[in-house]
Amino acid sequence: MTEPSSVSVLPSVELDNLYAISQVITRVSHWKPALDQIIPLLRAILIFDNLVLYLPNSEEKGLEVAYARVVGRGRSAGPELAWGETVANQVFQSGQIYLQQPQPEKTVEERLNFPYLLGIPLTLHDRIMGVMVFIRFGGPAYSSDNTRVAAFAAEQVAELVQHQQIRQQIESIEAERQQARLQEDFISTISHELLTPLGFIKGYTTTLLRPDTSWDESNRREFLTIIDEETDRLQELIDNMLDSARLQSGTMPMQFQPVRLDALLKDVIMRARVHHKTLQIITNLDNPISPVQGDPQRLAQVFENLLSNAIKYAPGSTVVISIRKEENRAHIIFQDNGPGIPAQYLPHIFERFFRNPEQAPNVRGTGLGLYICRQIVEAHHGEISVESFVGEGTSFHIYLPYEQPKKGSHLVKKSHSTKS
Amino acid sequence: MSTRILIADDEPLYNRLLQINLLTEGYEVITAVNGEEALEMITTHSPDLVILDIMMPKLDGITACERIRQFSNIPVIMLTARGEEHDRVQGLNVGADDYIVKPFSATELLARVRAVLRRTQTSRDPLQSRFFTHSNLRIDFARAEVWKDDKPVFLSATEYRLLIQFAHHVGQVLTAEQLLVAIWGPQYREDKEILWVSIARLRQKLEDNPHSPVHIVTRAGLGYLMPPNEKEFVKGEPT
Repeated sequence: MTEPSSVSVLPSVELDNLYAISQVITRVSHWKPALDQIIPLLRAILIFDNLVLYLPNSEEKGLEVAYARVVGRGRSAGPELAWGETVANQVFQSGQIYLQQPQPEKTVEERLNFPYLLGIPLTLHDRIMGVMVFIRFGGPAYSSDNTRVAAFAAEQVAELVQHQQIRQQIESIEAERQQARLQEDFISTISHELLTPLGFIKGYTTTLLRPDTSWDESNRREFLTIIDEETDRLQELIDNMLDSARLQSGTMPMQFQPVRLDALLKDVIMRARVHHKTLQIITNLDNPISPVQGDPQRLAQVFENLLSNAIKYAPGSTVVISIRKEENRAHIIFQDNGPGIPAQYLPHIFERFFRNPEQAPNVRGTGLGLYICRQIVEAHHGEISVESFVGEGTSFHIYLPYEQPKKGSHLVKKSHSTKS
Repeated sequence: MSTRILIADDEPLYNRLLQINLLTEGYEVITAVNGEEALEMITTHSPDLVILDIMMPKLDGITACERIRQFSNIPVIMLTARGEEHDRVQGLNVGADDYIVKPFSATELLARVRAVLRRTQTSRDPLQSRFFTHSNLRIDFARAEVWKDDKPVFLSATEYRLLIQFAHHVGQVLTAEQLLVAIWGPQYREDKEILWVSIARLRQKLEDNPHSPVHIVTRAGLGYLMPPNEKEFVKGEPT
């Protein structure tokens, strides 16, 4: 290793090229293409035949070649050439510049076997990030100016390598955070949904129990009605969570039998009208419609879910429900003319816990309803899909085959969760 | 005159729950469904106590409380959900007097309201004005808005907080260090230059002639002040 003995002024070609190198560094964000651009610039001011970049391998237990270029003598020699691996390891250990100046060369073969080697550590903030080795087959020897130019290039490359490593780390942290956020969203949705009815039940019960006050009959009825309704809401939420867990794990029992969809639909509509007296529903049923093989309780759950979604997310809209006869299957449509769902959310709305973020803060819900619908429909070997236009409305389409395949268990198959 | 309590919660059933219980205690109750409405009602109805839910549309409870504290010492109780310790700490940090965790019992609610009123009744100043004027400059603390000659001036959050410091200490010289610590934090104690740049920017936006300022004046070697001579507090609505 040699110390630069005196400060020398670089000729302007060298300055120009050094400047150009630093420009490459600021413009190119990946170190490989950057090195491709730097090499010709560097070679004009520093003669070398091979350039090799060694970086620690992923386990950080040693060096691995990350980049190598043959630009001068030895283009045809291939793997038989010297690649400076020993020097690289030495530099990586010591952190010092290493210069190997061989005895004056004799034959061409000896030149290839005993090259001039210049090993430069890639150092940033006292951390050695790798080693760059310049190899020259034959003289002249590397001067102290050469060493400084090489060290400058190595610093620039070190910056780039670090930049790229940090970016990769950021990407993986981002991915982890995204995952954590989903998890957190789920927990906060569930806890908010569970705690809200619980808060009302607790609040109104303790109001009734206040020792210092007696409530009149109309107050008592009001509070008890709230408690009753909130208990139902809590029950519904817990049922939904249990159903979705059973459907997810494939342990939901299904009782298949012939089901008349028109009769089932009428029941569902009648029950909905009990709570929503002003609800406008138009039914549009092909007649006669063959019964489907299905679990009436589960299919009613699907219809109830779609109807209650229309009531919640398209308030005031008329709901048109159609059942159409197709060759091997029934086609059921729930259509509203509410605000619609923005296109970017449509691919996700059957996913577990997904909620339209524009509606989620205003409308109660758990993001489980449509997931449950899809699971139940798929357990009937059917299909469910959505069509929606912002400002026009939303239509859900369900296709249910009249007959179920003969074989197979009456349990829901495990879902293909990536399907969306 | 009975004690007036403002409740702000976006869940009507919570508003109702609080209201019926507070009414039995002889309090007068008014309700708001979001933070913006709550701030308006504080200035128009002068309640004696505010109960603010944290999760509210338009303006959340934390921000609302922070704004209330710019112009009023009215006691504030925050309503928070269980497990959200972060919210409770934040609420206390922005000047809330107490918090109630949902779900809560009616008797706990009433006990906390009584305790906060007892604690605060004797030691509080009366309600200050929501509006502050300084010659041609007007600040609406509730909306965090600044007007110059009846035209809105758009300030960055930092600029607004800097201006508020002066508005709250009219006639007092504030040292660079006091301002730096109050707005940027103790680690910026020595960072005079960012204060200079911010004051220069504020003067550009607020002064008719930034080279001869009337709102934020330099006292060489001491600091800066908003001079008192043109100060006037306007009660109630702006003119």
